Amino acid sequence: MTARIVMKLEVVERIDLGDGVARATLRHPRRPALPAWTPGAHVDLRLPDGKVRQYSLIGDPDDLTTYTIAVKRDETGRGGSRLAHQILREGAIAHVSAPRNNFPLVPGRAVLIAGGIGATPLIAMARALARRGEDFAFHLCVRSEDSPFPTLVEAVCGDRLSVYRSSGADARRLDVAALLTGVPDDVHVYCCGPERLTVAVAEAAAGRSEEHVHFEVFAATSDENYKPEPFDVTIASTGQTYRVPADRSALDVLREQGFALPSSCELGVCGSCECGYVDGIVVHRDVVLKPSTRQHRMMLCVSRARVGVTLDL
Amino acid sequence: MAWRGTLLSIHIAPAASYEMEELAEAELVARRGIVGDRYYLGTGTYSPKPDAREVTLIEEEALDALAWNDPPMQDAPIALARDEHRRNLTVRGVPLNHLVGWRFRVGECVLAGARLNFPCRYLEELLGKPVFLPLYNRSGLNCWIETGGIIRPGDVIEPMGERTTKPNRAARPS
Repeated sequence: MTARIVMKLEVVERIDLGDGVARATLRHPRRPALPAWTPGAHVDLRLPDGKVRQYSLIGDPDDLTTYTIAVKRDETGRGGSRLAHQILREGAIAHVSAPRNNFPLVPGRAVLIAGGIGATPLIAMARALARRGEDFAFHLCVRSEDSPFPTLVEAVCGDRLSVYRSSGADARRLDVAALLTGVPDDVHVYCCGPERLTVAVAEAAAGRSEEHVHFEVFAATSDENYKPEPFDVTIASTGQTYRVPADRSALDVLREQGFALPSSCELGVCGSCECGYVDGIVVHRDVVLKPSTRQHRMMLCVSRARVGVTLDL
Repeated sequence: MAWRGTLLSIHIAPAASYEMEELAEAELVARRGIVGDRYYLGTGTYSPKPDAREVTLIEEEALDALAWNDPPMQDAPIALARDEHRRNLTVRGVPLNHLVGWRFRVGECVLAGARLNFPCRYLEELLGKPVFLPLYNRSGLNCWIETGGIIRPGDVIEPMGERTTKPNRAARPS
């Protein structure tokens, strides 16, 4: 994972789409073209309180004059979306990173499954799939009749969209297990949405190969029963060992020791602080590394170790 | 050393990873840095690590060499723009590598060459360009500011023929 340039972008348009969702269009005040991106990519929005939030790009990657994001105001969340709604005013400057893609679209047929704001990374994917004439379907679950996402998604993929509203006259639920039963194993399944949906998709897709099931997760897994323990990190190149207390992260401790380590979300979702390790039992608490990568890579911001770990630094 | 160079451009960034912004003039503060820059504000990638970074310089000649792929260490020439390399001052006609331990003048200011800048993987990642190897040994010069003032593109840069008494590595002068 890589460090990314942070740009001060101008909010050229802000439209409230309903159901607490604001769409913001961002432009570089000096450069005609923004850094390129691919469907599924997100940017970091740096908030004035120092926090960082990730938002998927919902526009067209062929048009680099602007980026478009959609932000759902979450009254019960960590406060980031409320702050984002405040700063994304027309004419304001937003501090936005170059895009990163942890959720790339791969060649092949696809089923896209989204819940609510989880539609955002899939919108650009649907546009790309439609453009290349791929066979795909988009299943979108929304809670409120006011949700703007059915309209946004329909605009890019027309009748390939099926909407499941949990309230109102035409309420119906998506039966994920039944849906995937009819989907061949070589079709790629992409899912983004609330935990209940991603868990249902993960369970229903349990028999499929890891390469064919893709998730985008913007909230770190919260296991309230997890109790952090102190552990030691050893630097492979020097043999030095540092103790990481229970209430601190390996990232914190190493930075204090002078290691210049990139990081961004510090929640285990963005992939910035990925680090190799050569020895030890790592307790992976991030949501970005693929299982196959976890044998030798870890996220220093949230992941820990039993007793000790030797880092490839 | 008989040479006389020119300050071509001035760039600062408010914090680590932020895009560099070009200035028409800059205020250099002795023992601190360039007003508004990340190493003046303490918000740089390497701010937690005491080192000579009050102002950093790079030779335009090094950027020119990258642009014609000299030496040919990568597949193609690299266009490394003045707002990308993350050094503060882009200069022409200044033998930066020879200035470690020497005082020199930039306009009305006096800088002390502290140590050679070293290319970092962080920059490579940030830019998505393979600049690490081609910048080796021509990544610029990290300086202390001995006499502050206002500098502008076009300012003359010239040697003073005096050794600096400042340590050339790590420790910040008190």
